[in-house]
Amino acid sequence: MRRPVVPSLLGLALAGCLATPQGPDTSAAPDAPPSAPVLRRLTAGQLARSITELFGPGVLVTRPVEPDTPSRGLIALGAAETSISSWGVEQYEALALDVGEQALESSSARTALGADTHDGVVDLAATRAFAERLARRAWRRPVTSEELDALARTGTTAAGALGDYHQGLQLVVAAILQSPHFLFRVELGEQGELSAHELATRLAFFLWDSTPDDALLAAADSGELLTEEGLRREAERLLASPRARVGLRAFFTDTYGLYKLDALDKDPAQFPHFNSELGALAREQTLRDLESLVFDEQADFRTLFTRELTFVDRRLAALYGIRATQPDGFASARLPRESGRRGLLGQVSVLALHSHPVASSPTLRGKFVREVILCGDIPPPPAGVNTALPEPTGTTLTLRDRVAEHLSSPACSGCHALMDPIGLALESFDGVGRFRTLDNGAKIDPSTDLDGLAVADAWELGQLLHDHEAVPRCLVRHLYRYATGVAEPAPSGSDDPLAGLTERFAAYEYRVAPMLIDLVVSPAFRRVERTR
Amino acid sequence: MMKLNRRTLLRGTVGGALVTVGLPPLEAFFDSHGVAYADGAIPRRFGLYYWGNGIHPERWTPATIGREWTPPDQLEPLAALRDELTVVTGMSVLTGNVIPHGSGPAGILTGSPAIVRGQEYTMAGPTVDQVIAQAIGGETRFRSLEVGVRPGPGLSFNGPDSVNPPESSPHALFTRVFGGGFQAPGSEPRVDPKLRLRRSVLDAVMADSARLKQRLGAGDQRRLDQHLDGVRELEKRLARLEESPASLAACAVPTEPALDYPMVDGRQPLSDVSRAIADVLVMALACDQTRVFSSFFSAPINNLLFPGASAGHHQLTHDEPGDQPAVNAIVKQIMVELAYFLEKLRAVQEGDRTLLDNCVVLCTSDVSFPREHRLDEYRCCWPARPAER
Repeated sequence: MRRPVVPSLLGLALAGCLATPQGPDTSAAPDAPPSAPVLRRLTAGQLARSITELFGPGVLVTRPVEPDTPSRGLIALGAAETSISSWGVEQYEALALDVGEQALESSSARTALGADTHDGVVDLAATRAFAERLARRAWRRPVTSEELDALARTGTTAAGALGDYHQGLQLVVAAILQSPHFLFRVELGEQGELSAHELATRLAFFLWDSTPDDALLAAADSGELLTEEGLRREAERLLASPRARVGLRAFFTDTYGLYKLDALDKDPAQFPHFNSELGALAREQTLRDLESLVFDEQADFRTLFTRELTFVDRRLAALYGIRATQPDGFASARLPRESGRRGLLGQVSVLALHSHPVASSPTLRGKFVREVILCGDIPPPPAGVNTALPEPTGTTLTLRDRVAEHLSSPACSGCHALMDPIGLALESFDGVGRFRTLDNGAKIDPSTDLDGLAVADAWELGQLLHDHEAVPRCLVRHLYRYATGVAEPAPSGSDDPLAGLTERFAAYEYRVAPMLIDLVVSPAFRRVERTR
Repeated sequence: MMKLNRRTLLRGTVGGALVTVGLPPLEAFFDSHGVAYADGAIPRRFGLYYWGNGIHPERWTPATIGREWTPPDQLEPLAALRDELTVVTGMSVLTGNVIPHGSGPAGILTGSPAIVRGQEYTMAGPTVDQVIAQAIGGETRFRSLEVGVRPGPGLSFNGPDSVNPPESSPHALFTRVFGGGFQAPGSEPRVDPKLRLRRSVLDAVMADSARLKQRLGAGDQRRLDQHLDGVRELEKRLARLEESPASLAACAVPTEPALDYPMVDGRQPLSDVSRAIADVLVMALACDQTRVFSSFFSAPINNLLFPGASAGHHQLTHDEPGDQPAVNAIVKQIMVELAYFLEKLRAVQEGDRTLLDNCVVLCTSDVSFPREHRLDEYRCCWPARPAER
């Protein structure tokens, strides 16, 4: 395959140190096809970030909204499939009223919103202008004059009834924020083409996990976003912004389920040094690694599984048995070969999350690798099977000995063979990820195999995953799902519809940023299936 | 104890919601719906009390049939409620056992198999609490209330992919029920010009949604409809604030719960939170803020560390060999919390009956014997006094 074209100087300057070359045109595989249009509810994070973008940092999101529900392991898919409960609606109203009050009570926010200029208590023109400025940004599109009339009526009626212009505007804010046009991402398209504003919305939430900024809305207004060059330019601009780091974090937090690290239950008797803060610190380590890999180093994504370089704070350093280089906060560190760890699978985040409260779990760890890293399917366990593990005896002391039952019983081995062997390589780490050589007093043997290839230990497992053909394909699939809100691309014959993107990812030497831009300009991102 | 024959059971599981069939105590409950509270009749309530990871069928079954039963080991904590409690045995979930810990709740709460997606599932239709809420929930401020001890989605569904997540913070539950939107029984209706304005905003939201809906596919239309149901309910709730609330002798605003409950020996304060939530929920019922509730002590497959347990609940159900004394102790701890809640209901006097007398609470779990994910020998119980109805 030909190497990608050297990036243009302009691209480099715009993207900081991000290389974003034009896509190679050698790929034989077709482009990813358009997906079905879906209505996506803003996630809790997207809602909070949008409100900050709209009203400035002076307005705080202090009220809870309904928790996000994952579907097929992804909140991004759940947001396209689930509905809100009646209590969720109540929480939206309370949040909208609260934001309205804060925004119109703080003089700085009031000025920023242009809410200071008005004539008397009931000022229809000023109310309408206020509504237009805010609704355009909140709804991420131009607002029709009927919609503006309705919002202005809400505002003037309220101002009259309450005897206060700004209290009227509070109700305008509440109406805009409770509208389905704010709470949902409406990306329906016309004749299969997303509109420029729908595209701007999809782009901003994909790369920033937030609402479009004014420049992006302007690119939509001018129609520039509908051209491939214009779209590519905006994608490059967004990726060069520090906010793309927030977006990347949101993607991996969802994909790897790192939000679950906030609610880890670990037995304090077994793990006296573990508490709820450590889960969040472990997530921060993993996210810093990903941020550095993708943006600072622009490295091959597959090195995520073989990296020695990482970022730890004092507490994580103690758990890893290395020296912290600074007393507070995170600093770069190296986990050498002697640590027994390598890359993502040697991190506390993955090891602790996929364990039991008192013990490690080869099954849960193997399940994570098989499903999330390799995108393999594992059927649910059969019902009516006695799942008890044998007790430790004189000859079967370690968990490895005990889970051997999974692999010898025909009822279990079909699925467990997909999981347990991978996890056995990680048995050198206990339920919170500390290195160990003994389990229940017996020496741990971490040797195993990955789909027929011998693996001596966690170190070698990292290398095999680095070399595994499914790893890049799986990342592309996660990104596709995350970007479109659709679980599976429309089938295209017997081929993998995402093969084209995966090939180009390889041509970029598995650097993530250029592949993100390829995905953005692909039909999968710009178009939707025609439904009517 | 009451034995259901296979035929009754088949009717129950195939006919939709398990409890709507001809079971004597529930018949009495259903006969009562539609009785207007304003006429002085005490309303009947329905609740679901749910815990994860099952029971032990033998240790949960009284040795004898009839009213003079002796509580078996796992029901020992409910001994003081024996006269109020009906234990139902001899049931199986016949809607298939495909998803461990998922097929059970789907069968018993919706009467249908789950919609399965790989290892995940959603309910094919509304759960029994929401079916009943449709019938009797319209009279009260909240159509239904869902509570839980730990955060999670719960099992109360309006339909596929439409869950009603439980509140797991006692303080947030208190604020929701007894905060700004609460009117003390017998007080004057509220005069607040903002209420009407908030309702008109909701009207505008509904008009907006109706226009948007025309552009959506069938699936998204259904999702937006669920959203609109919520908006309509909120509008009704605001309108009700401008009416005079009924006078209720038993209603008292409960003590405001703490904002946070500290860990106990490094473990989740399950009992403390469960009781704080029970205290608020009981008064929400006594004050007629809702007539339908779901209380999720714990979720299917939860791996909570219970006091004294050597491992998480789910792990123990599978890994603990022999008679599983540790699992047994956990089930009994859950029954202690169920007893606390039922006794709080019994402590509220409503005329010559207690609040517990006026409730049907379906108490059940997601499997019978969890080690094998069994759905035969299924158990549930409910407090009800069939003879008096």
